[in-house]
Amino acid sequence: MEDGLLPEACQKVLLLDYPLPAQLEELEKLAGAVEDALSQHPDLVFPVNLCLEELITNTILHGLQEAKNRFIRVRMYLSDAWLEISIKDDAPPFDPFVDVVAPDIDLKVEDRPIGGLGVHLVKTLMDDARTYYDGSGNLIVLLKTLRKDKDA
Amino acid sequence: MALECTISELGAVRLACIIGRVDSATAGALEKSIIPLFDTPERHVIADLAALEYISSAGLRVILMAAKRAKQAKARFVLCGMPPHVREVFEISGFLKILEVAADQASAQAMLA
Repeated sequence: MEDGLLPEACQKVLLLDYPLPAQLEELEKLAGAVEDALSQHPDLVFPVNLCLEELITNTILHGLQEAKNRFIRVRMYLSDAWLEISIKDDAPPFDPFVDVVAPDIDLKVEDRPIGGLGVHLVKTLMDDARTYYDGSGNLIVLLKTLRKDKDA
Repeated sequence: MALECTISELGAVRLACIIGRVDSATAGALEKSIIPLFDTPERHVIADLAALEYISSAGLRVILMAAKRAKQAKARFVLCGMPPHVREVFEISGFLKILEVAADQASAQAMLA
């Protein structure tokens, strides 16, 4: 770790380590903490909070069945090249990126089913999204590349 | 409360200003404000999103429900004033192709005139 061989861009700094009580009402407080942590990257605040909410809402409602006194651990790391977000729960194994059917976004208003957009938003807004199950819970890792030429 | 939805009359049209955050905790309140607006047949609704700071799929769900109710009520539902991040979320969801969208309140009114 201290051999100096890693390029500088690979060194990451912990921006946020947040134990979130597993309740929907707590999401707004998390959003405030994310905004503070990303003060140098205000453009990332909206997509990051959106992805956190989509995934954590699924975990609270479905994975944890709204059980009380549970926590979800949210961490955010930043390097020169990317933002990394991890979300760890202690719910039964579930991989939203594999187990959720992609929505057909070309249907008319009358034919569009209500719901099912959350995971689609996460996959679109992030550059990489994966879930790992380690025996004690799900670990979701999201990567967002910092593109300086994003709007070019 | 992090979400506010004010309803007013704009001539013959109803105007709903959606202000603040629509997330999974507040989407239910938005649903209660917006959906009953389509109880009156053929009464058009403009939703002004200029002060909408944040919307997630929980809010998009309510917007789509409103659009479906509008069709049933033979009313038009026009969204206006989308901030850039909000617009991006609507675009990714395919909603810009299926919903009526205007730049601001004035153009929304013009669309309905």
